[in-house]
Amino acid sequence: MNVTVIQLEYFKLRRKRLFLISTGFLLVEILWLFLNMNQSIMRNPDQARWEPLIATISSMNGLFLPLLIAISVSRICDMEHKGNTWKLLLTLSVKRSRLYFAKFFVANGVMFTIAVLQMIAMIVYGILKDFADPVPVNVFMQFLIGILLTNAAIIALQQWVSFALKNQAFALALGMIGSFLGMTGGLFPFSIRRFFIWSYYNELSPVAQHFSHDQITYSLTNLPELLPLMGTVFIFAVSLYIIGSFSIRKKEV
Amino acid sequence: MNAIIATDNLTKRFGATYVVKDINLVVHEGEIYGFLGPNGAGKTTTLKMLLGLIRPTSGSVHIFGKNLVSNERWILSQTGSLIESPSHYEHLTGLENLRIIQKLRDIPERNITEVLKIVRLEKHKDKKVREYSLGMKQRLGLAMALLSFPKLLILDEPTNGLDPAGIGEIRELIKALPAQYGMTVLLSSHLLSEIEQIATTVGIIHHGRLLYQGSMNELKKQQQPTILMKTRDNPLAKRILATKGWTSQLQGDYLVFDNMTDEEVALANKLLINANIDVLRIEEKKKTLESIFLELTGEERDERDRDSA
Repeated sequence: MNVTVIQLEYFKLRRKRLFLISTGFLLVEILWLFLNMNQSIMRNPDQARWEPLIATISSMNGLFLPLLIAISVSRICDMEHKGNTWKLLLTLSVKRSRLYFAKFFVANGVMFTIAVLQMIAMIVYGILKDFADPVPVNVFMQFLIGILLTNAAIIALQQWVSFALKNQAFALALGMIGSFLGMTGGLFPFSIRRFFIWSYYNELSPVAQHFSHDQITYSLTNLPELLPLMGTVFIFAVSLYIIGSFSIRKKEV
Repeated sequence: MNAIIATDNLTKRFGATYVVKDINLVVHEGEIYGFLGPNGAGKTTTLKMLLGLIRPTSGSVHIFGKNLVSNERWILSQTGSLIESPSHYEHLTGLENLRIIQKLRDIPERNITEVLKIVRLEKHKDKKVREYSLGMKQRLGLAMALLSFPKLLILDEPTNGLDPAGIGEIRELIKALPAQYGMTVLLSSHLLSEIEQIATTVGIIHHGRLLYQGSMNELKKQQQPTILMKTRDNPLAKRILATKGWTSQLQGDYLVFDNMTDEEVALANKLLINANIDVLRIEEKKKTLESIFLELTGEERDERDRDSA
């Protein structure tokens, strides 16, 4: 039953243009990244390395992905409000928790695809620009894990809001606020920004940026160093998922 | 006859208001049960409780002889429903909507072709539901409910928003279901004429209480004409006629008699004239189902008014 419900979630996304919207977003982000990188490399050929590329995209993800998640999750959830289909599914013995999980799974699946496409585009760019070092597979894997964990927490929050409030303007507004905090999170002290789930794209980046004397230097952060932060965002994701799923279970239709 | 649906003092309270109170609904196998009541009477709430969409405040529901709470999954697998406005994915086609139900219920694909034929939507199956008219949406909703050819079909106001031709079409379709597919149908409506033409059994609900439950024929028996007689001295006329075995009730300016033949009316008239009582008016009044319905629901309202006074 679980597999069928998940398959049907993909089926229901037909004509929702979710793939088009997501890849459009990705395209804008990637183009911006590449233009940015091209300029840096022109100014300083030393910048033709993997570290600046990953560090830049990590901070850009804080701006782009929360908004893309808000739009995607809203499209995935809103069809049940619009079509009045909650009661239809419930009378077909589809458990609310299963439907909730299926939507969470599909949203994560869409965002996983975007993350993989983003990584492929970055690798192709690095190869075309003749980066000196070989593709740092481990760093990219760490980068991917960070994105997926942060995605999961934001998706859990957006799904809760998109289901709880019929008017999707609230969910989209939350996405915009998230985007803003994702981009500017670094300006807040850690004691505050640790609660901004949107800032974790940057926090969990395997490449740290250091600003000194008008110069930016980069250093790699090993996976064990990031584990406590990964644990934090994982707890956020699980908690938000449980709260959202529970609130839907209690709702009468 | 087996009771397919039986509720025991089913009650739903929202805050301090009872939306449904102590309803004992009994729907037998093969019946078309018309659940009749004005808007806001508690029909949809009752039907939602039968489908487990909302939990009763008290009371219980048994469907197919099994308790709904402990056998919800099995009961729902045997039941098709259409509650309130039809539920659809508007961005998908009619066929795709049916396919979702087919996959979830794990039923053969040929059922889709069959129900599309039944509701006459074959030609529009590849159109997006967004482009459907209200009638087509309603028909698709019915097709979705029928898709598994369930033993029990629960339809809430299935003809809502349809034009007269559409209403007739759906009516004929529903009427044929028990005989053709062995289904039991429970349908609600606020239109008496609708229920009168479809249902074999009727339940009348008003202010959350079931005021009448029985066969449509029994209800129609109450339509028998009454004779109204107005005389110069009604109490004396009532006494004189009672001595001849004609019992009557005094209602306003009239004496009201049940089951009087033409001969008896003539005799009663003669008797009163001989007794020197002027007969001012003799009328025959035939009750329509509507007046019976209004009487039932009106009495209830009066009772409530008295209670609250």
